[in-house]
Amino acid sequence: DDASSKFSYQALRETRQDSRRPTITPQHGGKTTNQLTMNATTANQSDCLEVKVPVSLFFIIGVVSLAENMLVVVAVIRNRNLHSPMYCFICSLAAFNTIASLTKTWENLMIVFANVGQLEKKGFSEKNLDDVMDSLLCMSFMGSIFSFLAIAVDRYITIFHALRYHNIMTMQRTKAVLGVIWISCGVSAVLMVRFFDSKLIMICFVVFFVVSLAIICFLYIYMFMLARIHARKIAALSTSGRGKCRRQRWWGSSMRGSLTLTILFGVFVVCWTPFFLHLIIIMVCPMNPYCECYRSLFQLHVVLLMSHALIDPAIYAFRSAELRHTFRKMLLCSDWNWCS
Amino acid sequence: MSDFNNRSQTSTRRSDYVWQYEYYDDEEPVSFEGLKAHRYSIVIGFWVGLAVFVIFMFFVLTLLTKTGAPHQENPDSAEKRHPPSSCLVDIHAPQDENDKAFCRPLLTESRSYFHFYINEEDQRQGKQKPEDESLGKHKWARAQQRTRGTSSSGMDEMEEDVEEAEGHQPLRGQMEESKADRECSFFSQFNIPNFVNLEQSSTLGEDDLLYEPSVVQECQSHSQDAHRDIH
Repeated sequence: DDASSKFSYQALRETRQDSRRPTITPQHGGKTTNQLTMNATTANQSDCLEVKVPVSLFFIIGVVSLAENMLVVVAVIRNRNLHSPMYCFICSLAAFNTIASLTKTWENLMIVFANVGQLEKKGFSEKNLDDVMDSLLCMSFMGSIFSFLAIAVDRYITIFHALRYHNIMTMQRTKAVLGVIWISCGVSAVLMVRFFDSKLIMICFVVFFVVSLAIICFLYIYMFMLARIHARKIAALSTSGRGKCRRQRWWGSSMRGSLTLTILFGVFVVCWTPFFLHLIIIMVCPMNPYCECYRSLFQLHVVLLMSHALIDPAIYAFRSAELRHTFRKMLLCSDWNWCS
Repeated sequence: MSDFNNRSQTSTRRSDYVWQYEYYDDEEPVSFEGLKAHRYSIVIGFWVGLAVFVIFMFFVLTLLTKTGAPHQENPDSAEKRHPPSSCLVDIHAPQDENDKAFCRPLLTESRSYFHFYINEEDQRQGKQKPEDESLGKHKWARAQQRTRGTSSSGMDEMEEDVEEAEGHQPLRGQMEESKADRECSFFSQFNIPNFVNLEQSSTLGEDDLLYEPSVVQECQSHSQDAHRDIH
């Protein structure tokens, strides 16, 4: 049987977990009929067997994303130049990703131990630990979505309220916003794992995701449109002497802009949506065979979710020259004074 | 399990009751017989839909750029909209090949931003208003420090251009010391904080950036003033 589904994501994966209950029924004619059948998940000979991802892949993704995100967090903390609101949000995103990677790696370790036989799957402490890990994962998921939202709002304020940016986004407000994000994520995560059985929680989770997605999409596309108009105005001011060359180079740079935004948003959508569709499908159609086949790919969707923690630093953090400079200093120079 | 059944059978031979297990849900279990479509149809449909969405978004964004094609029909009206100043005067002068961005007003608010800069320059040239000046310089310097140090996605190309132009000016830890130098590069570049990180490197890459030599000379003189003001 699948260890990971036993250890965690139980409610997600097996909707008909305890589908058997003992009953006493009148037996007519004295004949006994053995109506016992096997476990529900294997009885129907489902053609859509669960796709299993090797634990080593989880380990690799977890460890690499952990290293990357911890690097980002340490770099932002150590370099005083990076103590600005935008980098605080990026650091918070990296911290949430770190927690997610750490928790997932730890969970994989426990699954390996449980498979080997060191741990008891149904033990009390293991279940508590399982709940703790699930809440941490939930917290990091929600936190990273909140961080994306914060980064998008920050960029929005930068563009639309550029003059008043430093009055609107002070460090105190940034810290307050981050505090609110962390506390609310922690509390919601604990509540969600506690009351996971009720459908309301899952509905809230999915609605939260969809609303954040819509807000982020709107903000970025609005900023992009403004950048277009702005670039058009700039280009209109230029001389007409080199018009043709300029126009061609303008196309090229504009294509790069579209590509940047598509990557930013596309990676987010591709990595997060399958998991949330899984949650929706559990609520909506647990019995449908098509839905069953979708749910059999659960581990792949979790791999996608983890790989988002891997890709995030590349999209947000590593594109800053200052941050890359700090990395080079930290990694290559053992003595701080040697590298200027 | 069959033991239970036997035991129950023997113990309740007289009665007609038998232990047995029933399915909690009395509906038939998920069966894969008689499926009209392929069993992975939801999966395939979802991924195709997602790919279509991403590609559609990419094409919409690209189309937005195409509709925003630069046209040279009204440079005069553009000039009338922006009153001529030291910033705009030299725009029509012959430019170098590697141009750097100079004036980049955003819409309405950016226009005021733009005029703020011009007013700052005028004030600095004419009247001496140390408070506004230092405030303006502070804002610009911090903005520049932000653009230099705090940009994220998409900014790296622009920053690398600027660094090459300035001869790889090293980033220093002390904000105050490097402020003046950063102001200089900032004025030559005229960035709006963080605006660049989303699009600038791509939309207004090295191709679209105009270099303004006269203002750079101004900035060099003013950076010295800034040094005196700040310290």
